[in-house]
Amino acid sequence: MNVERIKNAEIMLDNVGMTYDATDGKKVQALTSVTMDIQKGEFISLLGPSGCGKTTLLRIIADLLQPTSGKVLIGGESPKEARLKRKYGMVFQSAVLYDWRTVIKNIELPLEIIHEGKAERRERAVKMLDLVGLSEFANHYPRQLSGGMQQRVGIARALALQPEILLMDEPFSALDEFTREKLHIDLLKIWRKTNKTIIFVTHNISESVFLSDRVCVLSPHPGRLSAVIDIDLPRPRTMEIRDTPEFTALVAKVRNSFEGV
Amino acid sequence: MKAIRKIVNSKAFITLVWITVIIIIWEICAARAAEVKRTPENVLPHLSGVIDSLTSDRKINGSQTALGMVLENAGATLSRAAVGYVIGIAAGFILALLMSLSGIIEKIAFPYLMLIQLIPILGMAPIINAITGDIAVSRIVIAAILTFYPVAANTLAGFKAVRREAHELMYSYAANKLQLYTKTMIPACIPYFFTGLKISAPMAITASILVDTLQGGIGLGCLLSQSLKGAMTRYVFWDIVFFSAVIGILSFYIMGLIETLLCPYKRLEKKGR
Repeated sequence: MNVERIKNAEIMLDNVGMTYDATDGKKVQALTSVTMDIQKGEFISLLGPSGCGKTTLLRIIADLLQPTSGKVLIGGESPKEARLKRKYGMVFQSAVLYDWRTVIKNIELPLEIIHEGKAERRERAVKMLDLVGLSEFANHYPRQLSGGMQQRVGIARALALQPEILLMDEPFSALDEFTREKLHIDLLKIWRKTNKTIIFVTHNISESVFLSDRVCVLSPHPGRLSAVIDIDLPRPRTMEIRDTPEFTALVAKVRNSFEGV
Repeated sequence: MKAIRKIVNSKAFITLVWITVIIIIWEICAARAAEVKRTPENVLPHLSGVIDSLTSDRKINGSQTALGMVLENAGATLSRAAVGYVIGIAAGFILALLMSLSGIIEKIAFPYLMLIQLIPILGMAPIINAITGDIAVSRIVIAAILTFYPVAANTLAGFKAVRREAHELMYSYAANKLQLYTKTMIPACIPYFFTGLKISAPMAITASILVDTLQGGIGLGCLLSQSLKGAMTRYVFWDIVFFSAVIGILSFYIMGLIETLLCPYKRLEKKGR
């Protein structure tokens, strides 16, 4: 690995692979030699069908899984060091909000973990809630919110610790099409305001094209990075961009880059 | 139509139907007992008879009315049941916590838990009584043992029901074990914990009464066996059955009420969204 790469890339994946022991004693290759660099502030999608290893790759970056081969560096550090420095914000497929906490208290949760003072905690949470446009729901309980609103609270909570990297694991896949498209716009706004590096796992081609700077196409059996496609659509992107021939062409290009599905 | 449907679906209506059906079944059986038995109160008296005996001011042992006697003994039994209940809750919760913290402790402790559940109280009571050497203490211990299992098993189930994502979330915050438990695991298991409390509250009371019958002294069970043996009117027995049923059901609802007070979000659940 050269020094230049380490210095420039926010996230550096070098020959990352993951092998599981299956129940019948065989080895299963979930992921084979993924090499790529992700720059600071980039919006990257990991796109692929189930079994392609996209979630495995996200979990390796998040320090939830240890790769069986290769190396991951986050700003020159190991994923574990990055996690301990709270550089990650996680957003899951379901919002994973705590039923017993109000919306604002849910957002304060990570701040309680780092022993932030009460006033600072509230101030930051209010700011985050404002960022996702849910200020008036501060004292509601999660069950009183719609799925899309819950997921926004999840995003606000992930941003509360001001992490450098936002890791999103199919965050909108359980939402209806209308809510999803609205949240796409909102997420891009939040991204522009906060300037985070976002890694976004999805199996939805048009979603990945709409959101990303680059789409990483992963193919299954064994899970591998089969293409990285630059999305050079102008920003800020609006709903209407989906109707342009450029968008359609990029969706086709991404779709054609899958191997062996 | 809408108004009628609203009444039919209301909680008060359901409770009313429930109580009415019980009274009807009781009265049918009591009427049958009155036909075939010479002393029907030995089998099943009419409810009116039970209520009469509770409200009458006739002294049944020279100084006390039936109600006064039942209440005095109930106080003793219930306070022992309550002490045992609280001890059982604490022990059950702590064991569940230990089992959740360590898989080895869980594997070792769980068979014992099952075993405790399998031994009948009436078999266990003389053993406990012999060990403690004091009937009052052994009553408390037995109420505690009976409370212990439902609380431990339900609380453990609550810890296990915490979703993987919640664990991962805390992991991504680099939260320590104490924070994981205080912020996530314990609050998440509260509804399960209360399920255990609701199951075991009537059990602790029933067990206390049952253990009372083994030995004399003060207590609902002692009174119950005296009444059965003919030392006083048989209606005292029915008064106690009636009274303990009411207390048992009340204890269940009181736990539910405490849960609702502690968990405001639970109220939303009942209302729907």
